[in-house]
Order: sequence, then C-alpha cells, then structure tokens
Amino acid sequence: MTVDGGVRLADPITLAGVEAPSRAVFGPHETNLADDRAIGRRHVAYYQARAAGGAGVIITETASVHPSDWPYERAPLATECSQGWQAVASTCHAVGAVVLAGLGHAGGQGSSAYSQSALWAPSPVADAASRELPMAMGADEINTVVAGFGEAARLAVAAGMDGVEVDAGALSLLRQFHSGITNQRDDAYGHDKLLLTTQVLYAVRSAIGPDKVLALRLSCDELAPWAGTTPEHAAVFVDTLADRLDLMTVVRGGPYSATAYRPDAHTPAGFNLDLCQTMRQVAAGRVPVVLQGSVVDAAMAEEALADCSADLVELTRAQIAEPNFVAKVAANEPVRPCILCNQACRVRDNRNPIISCVSDPRAGHETTDPVVDRPVEEPTVAMTPTPPRALVVGAGAAGLECARVLATRGWQVEVAEQTDRTGGALRDAAIGPGRTRLAALVDWLEASCRSLGVTIATGREVVAEELDSAREAGVAVVLATGSRSAPPAFSSDASVTVLDARSALAGAPEDLPEGTVVVHDPIGGPIAIGVAEWLAAAGRTVAIVTQDQICGTLLSLTGDLADANVRLQRAGVARERRALLRGAHEGAVQLEDVWTGQPRVVPASVVIDCGQRLPDEALYDARPGTPRAGDCVAPRTALEAVLEGRRRALELCGVSITVNDDSSATPSLAGVMA
Amino acid sequence: MSSAGAYRHLFTPLRLGPVTVTNRVLFSAHLTNYATHGVPTEQHAAYYEARAIGGAGLIITEEHSTHPTDWPYEKLIHGFHPEVVEGYRRITERVHAHGVPIFAQINHNGGQASSMYSRLPVWAPSPVPDPLFREVPKAVEEHEIREIIDGYALVSAHCMAGGFDGIELQCSHSSIVRGFLSPATNHRTDAYGGSLANRARLLLELVDAVRSTIGADKALGVRICGDELIEGGTTIDDAVAIARMVEATGQVDYINTSIGVATATLYMIEASMQIPPGYAMFIPSAIRAAVDLPVVGVGRFKDPLQADRALADGLCDMVGVVRGQIADPDFAAKARSGHASDIRTCLSCNQECVGRMGLNRWLGCIENPRTGKESVPLPAPRRHKKVVVVGGGPGGLQAAVTAAERGHQVVLLERHVRLGGQAHVAAIVPSRAEFFDIARNLIAAAKREGVEIRTGVDATAATIRGEAPDAVVVATGARPLRPWWAGDDGRVVDVRDVLEGRAHPEGRVVVVDELGFHQATSVAELLADRGCVVEIVTNGMVVGQDLGVTLDMETWNVKAHDRGIVQSTDLVPMGVSRPGDEGPITLSLQHHPTGTDEERICDWVVCAVHQQAEDSLFHELRNEPFEVHRVGDCVSPRRAHAAVIEGQRVAVNL
Repeated sequence: MTVDGGVRLADPITLAGVEAPSRAVFGPHETNLADDRAIGRRHVAYYQARAAGGAGVIITETASVHPSDWPYERAPLATECSQGWQAVASTCHAVGAVVLAGLGHAGGQGSSAYSQSALWAPSPVADAASRELPMAMGADEINTVVAGFGEAARLAVAAGMDGVEVDAGALSLLRQFHSGITNQRDDAYGHDKLLLTTQVLYAVRSAIGPDKVLALRLSCDELAPWAGTTPEHAAVFVDTLADRLDLMTVVRGGPYSATAYRPDAHTPAGFNLDLCQTMRQVAAGRVPVVLQGSVVDAAMAEEALADCSADLVELTRAQIAEPNFVAKVAANEPVRPCILCNQACRVRDNRNPIISCVSDPRAGHETTDPVVDRPVEEPTVAMTPTPPRALVVGAGAAGLECARVLATRGWQVEVAEQTDRTGGALRDAAIGPGRTRLAALVDWLEASCRSLGVTIATGREVVAEELDSAREAGVAVVLATGSRSAPPAFSSDASVTVLDARSALAGAPEDLPEGTVVVHDPIGGPIAIGVAEWLAAAGRTVAIVTQDQICGTLLSLTGDLADANVRLQRAGVARERRALLRGAHEGAVQLEDVWTGQPRVVPASVVIDCGQRLPDEALYDARPGTPRAGDCVAPRTALEAVLEGRRRALELCGVSITVNDDSSATPSLAGVMA
Repeated sequence: MSSAGAYRHLFTPLRLGPVTVTNRVLFSAHLTNYATHGVPTEQHAAYYEARAIGGAGLIITEEHSTHPTDWPYEKLIHGFHPEVVEGYRRITERVHAHGVPIFAQINHNGGQASSMYSRLPVWAPSPVPDPLFREVPKAVEEHEIREIIDGYALVSAHCMAGGFDGIELQCSHSSIVRGFLSPATNHRTDAYGGSLANRARLLLELVDAVRSTIGADKALGVRICGDELIEGGTTIDDAVAIARMVEATGQVDYINTSIGVATATLYMIEASMQIPPGYAMFIPSAIRAAVDLPVVGVGRFKDPLQADRALADGLCDMVGVVRGQIADPDFAAKARSGHASDIRTCLSCNQECVGRMGLNRWLGCIENPRTGKESVPLPAPRRHKKVVVVGGGPGGLQAAVTAAERGHQVVLLERHVRLGGQAHVAAIVPSRAEFFDIARNLIAAAKREGVEIRTGVDATAATIRGEAPDAVVVATGARPLRPWWAGDDGRVVDVRDVLEGRAHPEGRVVVVDELGFHQATSVAELLADRGCVVEIVTNGMVVGQDLGVTLDMETWNVKAHDRGIVQSTDLVPMGVSRPGDEGPITLSLQHHPTGTDEERICDWVVCAVHQQAEDSLFHELRNEPFEVHRVGDCVSPRRAHAAVIEGQRVAVNL
C-alpha cells in the first residue's frame, strides 16, 4: 500500500510517452491460440480479458521475426500477425492497456521439424534439450535477423501496437550470442557478445521511432557460471543498453536452465527479486525495470514496488488465473489464486495444448466458454424473492466451484461434506516440498462460497433418500463425491503395509512402520514424487518404483521433470525404473523389468500406492442420472474438477456449454476488428 | 513382363462383397496429421490420389472419429461434423478418377485418449486407465453406448454422402470396440461384459447400425486385433472366435487384422527394421482358416515378392502395404509393370513417418521428400543446366536424382570408392542393414536418370571449375569431431572409426552417447557381439532417448540386456588418462545432477558425439561465377531426412 492507502500496483506509469494504467505486466508466453502462425481471434479475447481486468502492459506472444525461426507449430510469425496485432491493439486500447508485440528468434533452441531447415545459432553448439546441431550463422544470416527484427517492429507499430519487446530471454538467439556457452565465434560477434543485440535494438528503434516503446527481455543469469552469462556480465549488458530502452524485464535461464525461467512451486516465488534489484541499481533510473519470476501474490508485488526492487511487476500466471487481478487487488477483493502448478499454462509441448488454468479453466477459451464471474464493478447479484436452491454433495474442488458459481448467480446453496474438512483430494495432496500452495485454490473457493452465503456442512453424510427428498422439495442436486482408492494391482502379505497416497499423506512420515518405504507410481505424476520427497525430507529411506525409464514422466509438461529427478537423487531416493511391481511379500517388493522380465527384489516395509483411483459412485449408482462433476465421474486432476463443477452449475442456470471449440472452419478475425 | 508373370497372386482381382478390387495391394488405414480443424484437407486428397495413380488395389483412409468424447490427438478428423463431407468428396473423387476404390475407417478411440482437447471425460467400458494416456476414463452408461452407436451411424452416413465405397470399423489397436472386446479393459458386469459374446455385443450392434446405414451396395469390413500383447488381453483364439461372430452376422464383407495395442505395444504395430517382416502373419492365417470372408494381412511388407508369397502361401487374401507406399506411391504399378527393382523400398526406419506422427507433426518419409507435399506443385524446370554435385551421400544423391529428373545434366563426384555416405556406414551394423536401402534406392535412381557418377574423385575448386558447371551442389558431409575431453589417446575413437574399420576396440569399451539415437546403441551392439564388455554412458536421462520416437526402444533394451550392455545416465565425460599410453584408460565422469565424480577403467572409449560440417569446399567456391548451394551435413550435421529434403529443395530450385 502507498502512504495514502492506495495500491502501488494500480499506479500508472509512463513509457516513452505512453501511459500504462497500472504496474502489472502480462508477459509474453506460448498459448497455442494462433491460427496457424497468425495472432488470432482467440488471442484477442484472451488479451482483452486481461486488459479489461487492469493489466498495465500486455506483451503478446513472441512472434518469430523471420521464417528461419519456427520453434513450435503455432508460434506466431511476424509477417502473419499484422491483422491480429491490430485487433489486439484496438480492443486493449479501448480499456487502456499498453500493448507491445513480443518479437524474437529462438535460434538453436528452436525446432527444424516445421521449417525443415537447419537451425541458426552463433556457433555449432547443440541445444541441451533437443540435441539438434545448428549451423553457425554467417554474415547473410546475421543481416537477415537484424533486418527481420526491424521489419517486424515496423509491422507491429503500423498495426497500432504501442511498441515491441525484443526477446533476449531464456529461449532466444540474442541470449545465445550473449553467452560464452553458445557463442564461440572468433569474429566481431564473438568478441563483442552484445553486438548483435545492439544492432537489433538500433534497427528496431529506427523502425519504430522515439515515441514507441522499445522493451527488452534480458536473461541476466544463465545459472551456468563456468561459461554462461552471470549477473556480473549482465550488469555490464544493462549498463550498456539502458539508455536505448524504454522498458526492461529481468529474467534468468539459459541452455541448461530453460525451465528456471518460469518454474513451478518447487522454486520459491519471487526468485528474481535480488537479481532485479541489482539490475535496477545498474540502470539507475535510465529505464524502468520489470520484476519477473513466479510473482503471483499481490503482496509480493506491492513489496517489490515499495522497496524499489522494481518499477513494474510481471504477473503473467497470476493474470492467467485471474484476468481481473489488478481490479480485484485495487478493490481489496480476494483474488483467485495461481497455484504455480504449471499444469495447464505451460504449453510448449508437441501436442499443442491450448493454454488454460487449473484455477480458471476459461483461460484460453474466452471465445467459447461463458463468462462465469461477475465483473468487479457489477453490484451484488439481484436476489429473487425465492432463490433457486441446490444441494452439492462433496466439498472438493468440483463441489466448491459448482456451489460458488451457483451462489454467484443468486442460488441458495448447501454443500454437504462427508469428512471433517473441505478441499477434497487437492487439499490432501497439498503436502510436502513445493506442494502446499495447491491448497490455496480450495481455500479461495471455500472463502468465496462463504462470502456468497453458501452453507458448508462438514461431517455431513448424504444418503440416497435425501436426494429424493431434496428433489421433491425443488432442490437441485449435484454430486461431487470424489474418488475412492483402487485395490492394488499386486498381492501382498502382512510383512508389508500397503496404503494409498491419500491415506499416507493424512498421517505423518514417522507413523509408518520402520524400514524402507516404496512409493509405487504407475502414473508418473506429481503425487508420487511429492510423497517420495515428503518422506525423504522426514528422514525415511525411500524407493520410487515406476514402469517408465524416468521418474515423473508426466512432469515434462510442467517443466519439473529434470528438476524432480535431481531432487530425488539429492534426497537419496532410490529410483527403480522400468519396473513393474508384482508383489509385496516377505518384507520386500518383487519387481520385474518391463521389457526383459528380469526379476529383482527391493526391501520394503511399506508400499504407498500412488496409482489411479476409482470414482466414488455409491450415491450415483443409487440414483443414476443425477448430475455429477469431477472425480466421481472419473478421477482426474483439479482442472477437470473445476471445469465440470462449473459446467454443472451453468447447466442448472440454463447456460449452454459449448464443447469442441476447434472444429470446422477457422474463426475469422473480422468479427473483432474495430 | 506381364502382370501375371512375376507376381501371379498379387495382381489378381478380389471380391470384397459389393466391391471388387483389381489387385491385392492395400493402402490400409494410418494416421497422417493432415487434417486441420477436424476436417480433411487438400493434402489428404493429393496424398491418396498419388497412391491411386500408383496402382494400389484399395485405399482405406485414416480414421474418422464418431463422437466428441473421442479426441486423442490434435489433428483427428471429426467425422461427426457435417463439414467433413466436402473433404470426403474431394478425396473420393480424386481417387475414383484413377479407378481405385476407397473405404473410410471409422472409429472411437475409447479410453485410449485424454480429455486434453475435448475437455470431456474419456469414455471406456470400465475405469481402467490407458497405459499411455494414464487418464481414468468414465465407464459408459447404457444411454452413452446408444450414443456411440448413433455416432457410428451418423459418420457412416457422412461417408456415404462423401462418396466412399465402403466402411471399415477399426476394432483392433486403438478403439472403444477393442476396449470392450478385451478382458484387460472390460470389467463390466452388465450385458456388455463378461463372456466373449457379451464383450462383442457392442461390435455386433455397430455392424448392424452401420450396415443398415450404408445399405447393401457398399462394403463393410471389420479390423480385429489378433494379439494385444498385453497382460490379460485378447489373444488369437478370441480373435478367431470374434471373426466367426462377425462372419455370422452375414453383414460384413472382409476382415482386416492387426497386432498390438497402439498405446501399449505400438512397436509391434508399426514395427521397425528390428522386427522380422511377416511377423504378424499368424493372425490372418488363423482367421482365414476359420472363416470364408477375405482376410487382410499386415506387418512390414516391404516388397512385392514378399507380399505375393504371403498370398501364395494362403496366409491372407490381401496385403496391407502402408510404409511401402508412403515411401513409393508407385509400389504396385512398378511391380505390375515389371519394374519392381525401381521401387523406392521402405527402410522401416520409422524416422519421418511414425516418428513424426508421435510428435503431432504431418506424416513424411525419410527418403521420399514428396510424401505429404503431393498437393504442393513443383515449379516448372527453367533453363537446363550443367550441375555438378559434390558428395554421394543421401543429400548429394537426392540433389543429383532430382536435378536429373528435371532435365539437368548432372555429374556427381564422390571422394570415396563407394556411394552412400554415412547411410552406408550406419548400415554396417547387421541389425541396421536395411538402412542402406536409402542409398541403394538413390544410387539406382541416379543411374536410371543418367547421372554421370565418378567415384574416387577428390573434388577441389579447380576440378569443379574444370567442369564448367552452371551450378554446383556441395554435399560434402561431415567429419568426426574429437571432443574436448578426449585428449589425443588413440584408443578414444569415434563411432565412425569403428564402423569404417579404422579402429578395432577390444576388451572393456565405454561408449559415450551425446546424440541419443542409433549411433551409440548400434555400435554398442556391434562391439558386444564381437566380444567386448560394453557400457554406454550418456549425459541424458536415458540412453538412446530418441529410440522411443522410432519405436526401437523396446527391442534395443532387450538386446542390451541379452548382451550384458550396461546403461548409465546423467554422466558427463571430464577427461581420459592413460599414463605412458599403456594399460587401461581411466575415463573421468561427473554425475551432473549431484556433482559427484566417477571413473571408469576401460580399454577403449567410443564417442557418439556431434560431428563437424565438412564445409571448406563450399566456402572456397562462394565467389565463383556459377551458383553454389550446399545441402545436408556440410550445412550442419543432422540426420538423413534433412539431407534428402535439402537435396531435393536445392535441385528443384536450380
């Protein structure tokens, strides 16, 4: 809070003569919302929602400045983006936000799968992730890239954008030139590692003129001090470049640490605070500096602004989860939280998933999903004389979201929860290193329900007959009864205690019998890794058993795969890979190699089964056809629970649900053009 | 030679109910990822048309999904949307123009899917998660089964409106019907679970519904899995019984077969060169013995002789040749006209077909740069030129072939006495021998197209000037690059040193894998077979990480186990030492996740690491008066497909 009690985040700031209505930046990120390689209609709706919610500066998804760069299938290409940029600019300007076009070239960190041409890079150094060897750029290629940045910037401002942001962040050609790891040239571009960037900035400034915003996203720490860019190098870069820029975002990440750029909750929020403060001191007021790095809470953003660590704060994931973030913070309303899970918003994946959010599954689907939440300025919903009533059975994510949405629309709702606490599976899972933040979502759902007058009764079991009487009384019923544990797929004897993950997490690590704890993970997901880390942190001897070649394979989507394996190794967790768990007998588990059938035995006193669960269908089976949501349909993740809880509520309100929003013809931009 | 000559069985007609095919070569159903927004495209039409022109007896399209709950991969055709009909018409008209019948495969993938695209629960007989997608499906209720059946009827109607000659029900490797048939995934206790008759109920209801939609004039086929290769799954006896039930309906015209489950045992469905050809023929032969319906056999049919033999032996009535016709659309026509030796034989390398599919990319082919690009016309050749190609690897050969096909006068210079470049080297390992087909096919084509080939010629700028070319294509490849940590110890060698016979490691060998593909694993296999004790170390999390993409991971690991090859991950080489160049080598390694140091004592170290572009000639020629291009590894050392694509691209634009 400022001295006068206001919110600093909501203070305007002027960049190159353009006023941004707030200090909150919605940074560039992959969305897979493009129509082929064009910024499309879905992008427009996505950005517009954040602009309307108070974002000060929006930087659109990074567009490649030249066809030699095609890092993922739906990566925008600048020459295809004019129309889309124009639509984004006009819709966002209508609500005041400053809009910059993200421009970049991924260089050797791109992909040749779509262009079917050699990757361009400073030197023939293979990317650590893809292992693809790029070609060393010659003078022609360098000139092409410089000209590409200039031309792309010209297109962007011609389309009405307020300026551009040049990408020299974790996944960028410019950073590759900055780094001793990837730049091994012995020409001028090797001797002066900033030369290409300065040429690019010159070309861009020449294209856009002094009255448009020239921003830079700069990796200031590659986390590879033996040859990479360190904060000391970066300080020199910042000092050299500050005068040419109107905005600078301090980020980190490089060839061995691309996932450090926007990690999940295993990395503490605000990890760039010190780095940003250092760079801001170097910039010494010559350019406003943006703090980036898992900042998702308003309080942290306020503090960074208050103690002069930053001039603006990038709150990308926070605004994916809550498009009205700034407006809600300014109105002192609770904000739907980002839980830093990266489950649905990190979409650099071959399958081209549409960006979305566990907290708000409407994210990325703004063109098809109905508006769920009332805008901040709208008064409390009008209450009809006899509000419709609903009984929601189960207070997990699905049940609470269903109740919340109904209550938002004027329903009188009771949530009946069988156990003694709300939050269901998500709260049970919110235990252990990097996992506690998960509970924030159910906390928020519960608080929202309560503030909307929803009755939440814990320890209240609902029987089938009560569903009948509710119906007879005109009360709508939704089942969100969650899941039950599945019988283990292996046999066991009394020498080994077998329990499921939720039962284990309900106790304490020291409650388990002495000896080695085997964590059985047929899913390859975050739960088993979390259980293993939780046990290891308590000093237990742990082995994790997976049929895969790598533990936690599904974590490649969240970016935690390599990190999780490093953590397990450092914690001394034995990783029994490509192993089928066949039995738990005689104080051991009997394993079998998935391919060779070779048996092996690992001592065990406890097996914690983290396998898939079964739907709790007892009530549904008693009254088939009752609307239901979440794990009681099929046990999946919190995303599906929230989505289905919401859908059941909207259906009760008579709102139609569109599914399959990517069928038939490409939606046209025409409808949104000003 | 007449059609009845070499392949007497292959080129005889066959009745599939109301449809008669002129030969037994089937281009059977396979994914292409050519759809956009759920509808078939021009890319599809041109792709199928090319195989119709090339003489396929019958084409069956990729699957058309029957319901919105079914969306396992992004570029699925949503057959339940009426918008598809226009695309169907385009496909069928273009194929019919060449007198070839075409069927549509329709399907619901059931539990072999996720909700990521559909945002709907996945449907399956029971809440048994699929081993790949790992999402618990919703057990379908009776009314949802009706919805599934209605979906099949609806899509069948769309297919009829779209001009297809028949329908195939995929009940085999990725299907809700498979899910119901298999005891592994059907745990129901109602009329759709339990006995085989109950598990087959959905299939038979679908046959009824589809036949009544399409009428008697169109063909209906059912594709059955003969062995799921999973625990508790369908095996051949059940498959034969299912085939009998299908025949007993009297509504089905043929039976197609397959092996494996797409999300569990895909490596046996789209078998790489590690699996012997004809490996799945026990399935059609067993079914054929039990039913009178025509039965299709599939499984790595690479050449017409092998296909003809399967028919002659009575194993099946028709042969599915998918990858064979992806690589060469004219497979059937060339066989029929006595030009079988001109067929661009599939390698079963799986790199650009299966490999790209798994990564959500459009289907291509390592040796056919036109696969998937049939709809993009080539520019007309301009002035005829004299073209000198330097280098006889895949990139140079492809450039020479394409240039010669387009009327240029082409001279190809190769330093070595033989052609093929690194394709030849890779194929030295016995289990990788079929990889040489890429070179063999290109060499044959070069000779056929009149390319003047000179081997054993060390091309210099002066020799090239002496040729007075209009254009030069430099395809000089790459050379091994000694890693920084290797020092100058003569017992630290490159994979190519071993395969090309310059080094003969013995005793304890450590192979360093920084490429994650066949280089390290195949040299390890070779050396183990020669009696070495082999360990592979890699900086990656898995040895041979990309073998999964080409479906070689399973067979590699079985072979490694048999040969006692040790696989160690997360290790970075830091140096080698061998005091006085005597005794064993000490290889220093760092376990990078924990920073701990390790050592290996060994007799040889073999490096599978990135090479260096052989680009000096290209740079020397840059100021010459003729146009100069470069392709393949001399641009940047990569895999063979890149060389072929670039060779083709440069030659087309000469």
